[in-house]
Amino acid sequence: MKTDVIISIAKKEIMDNIRNKWIILVSVMFALLTLVVSYFGSLGSHGWQDLGITISGMANLVTFLVPIIALILAYATIIGEIERGSMNSLLSLSATRFEIIIGKFLGLAGVLCFTIIIGFGAAGLMIAANVSNVNYVDYGIFIGATMLLGLVFLSVALFFSTIFNKRSTAMGGAIFLWFLFNIILPIVFIGLLATTIDITKFAAGNPIVVPDWYHALTLFNPTSVYSSLLTFAIGPVSSMNASSMIPAPAWYSSGLLIGVLLAWIIVFFVLAVWRFQRKDI
Amino acid sequence: MATTLVKCLTCKTTITISGEPGEKIFLTCPQCNQKGAFTIPEEKSAKTIGTNSATIEVNGLTKSYNHFTAVNNVSFTVNKGEIFGFLGPNGAGKTTTIKSMLDLIHANKGTIKINGIDVRSHGKEAKKYVGYMPEKVAFYDNLTALQNLRFYAEIKHAPKEECIHLIEEFGLGDTGKKRVGKFSKGMVQRLGMARAILGTPPILILDEPSGGLDPRGVVLIRDKILEMKKKGTTIFVSSHILSEIQEICDRVGIINKGVLVAQDTVDGLSKKLNLKPQITVTVGSLSAKIENAVKNLPGVDSVKTQGNTLEIVCDGAMKAKVILAISTAGGNIQNLQTKEPSLEEVFMRYTEV
Repeated sequence: MKTDVIISIAKKEIMDNIRNKWIILVSVMFALLTLVVSYFGSLGSHGWQDLGITISGMANLVTFLVPIIALILAYATIIGEIERGSMNSLLSLSATRFEIIIGKFLGLAGVLCFTIIIGFGAAGLMIAANVSNVNYVDYGIFIGATMLLGLVFLSVALFFSTIFNKRSTAMGGAIFLWFLFNIILPIVFIGLLATTIDITKFAAGNPIVVPDWYHALTLFNPTSVYSSLLTFAIGPVSSMNASSMIPAPAWYSSGLLIGVLLAWIIVFFVLAVWRFQRKDI
Repeated sequence: MATTLVKCLTCKTTITISGEPGEKIFLTCPQCNQKGAFTIPEEKSAKTIGTNSATIEVNGLTKSYNHFTAVNNVSFTVNKGEIFGFLGPNGAGKTTTIKSMLDLIHANKGTIKINGIDVRSHGKEAKKYVGYMPEKVAFYDNLTALQNLRFYAEIKHAPKEECIHLIEEFGLGDTGKKRVGKFSKGMVQRLGMARAILGTPPILILDEPSGGLDPRGVVLIRDKILEMKKKGTTIFVSSHILSEIQEICDRVGIINKGVLVAQDTVDGLSKKLNLKPQITVTVGSLSAKIENAVKNLPGVDSVKTQGNTLEIVCDGAMKAKVILAISTAGGNIQNLQTKEPSLEEVFMRYTEV
């Protein structure tokens, strides 16, 4: 494996996204959304809210936005190049398929992380300049967790980009993934939970007891893992995620959640490499 | 059967000839039409351009998709410094073969070696020697020509200054900051050729290099191919422009329905098909004496007359004797045209249903 080849491919991905102004557009969008949420996001609030409240307001938005941005960024990485014809030339060079795919992943990861850091970072600095209570650590955790969430979807989209033979199918797959993780799975999980717990007891004022399997189940949805991670590290942030409002078992820790997000990234990246190695171009 | 390279004594063009050791081969230089003969030496035949000096070796290549066999047991060798034309109708398996040679497609059976290195197991090493121009040339549309070439130069470890030189050479010097996405098809094709020769690779694999080019572009690409050959580059070229292939290639391979049906020099293939040159001679006054003098020559297949013109089909080696016979019989030759068997005829014969 040659690092210079990987760096060249990663650099090209970044340059390509700078040239099509993708980085600028998304960074500005992140910054504007954060500022809007901070200024207008809380009911009954007046003017700038501190970073903690901003994070709470942003968390749900991020679970919708960041996955779709990562999916858009990566769904055509492989199949798009194959369809266009540029993959032929790339693979005819003295570079292995592994070097090519890791270079592409690192380049796109750089683009995504850069937009998140610049977008949320710039907005964070503006908010910090206008409020007295500034918790940079929490905001740093929020940005870090958001990057992890983005990388998960980048990795999944990269895999999708290797399994389909048409760009349009890969796009359909990416849209399905977004619905799956943001709409379908949360509803299914809540539905399953509702069928197993006794709501009458909860209505009578008893604390809700959520079975361990439910917490385990949420690990299969990266957006739930992301919300839970922010809850553990910062405080309750998501109304969508039941596990963030209820007592969790001891094993359901920040470390586990970070590990799960990393596992999502690694597993789907390995699957993408495996598929790409075997693909006829 | 042995294959060897000979140089034309007049114009120094390298010509590939095939034959049995000790066999005398009569040949005509494709560049200057100088005629000559060459006997394949016994000693050299033992070292004929084979495994050790071969640049591209394809052996038993087979690629199937479900129940469809796109390429079936294809074997050929492209020798160092030669231009090998790869021909076939649409869907015959040309691109599948080329893609397999670069491991873009994983073959079901067979071996492919580039400079003796197995492409399947040591692809990265083998591909160091190759410059490739695909049928569908594509670049990164958001980048300029220079940015694109610099990216490929980085991976090829080619000097970056070469990129500017190549862009100028291929007439793209004035594109500046224009994105490749805004280029015409011809411009993209020229940039594709520039990318293929970037770093002066010892082997060039060109899949329809002239597709979509205007006549000036076709000439530019053809001249570049010949220039690369002069530098010793081995060139494998697939094209539908048969006249061009005949003009530039030392040998050709013809693939039809996934099977390599022929490979040899164009002359060699013509000989195998018993295709003969046609001589058209116009004389001042055509007489029966002249006609009979030609008809009675051995090696003359047919003689047709039209007005004062004779159309003669004969063995290649008999052309001079035919002209001499016409002169001796009192024919005052006013016009003389020779038409060698064309690659088109060869192609049509080998690919007919």
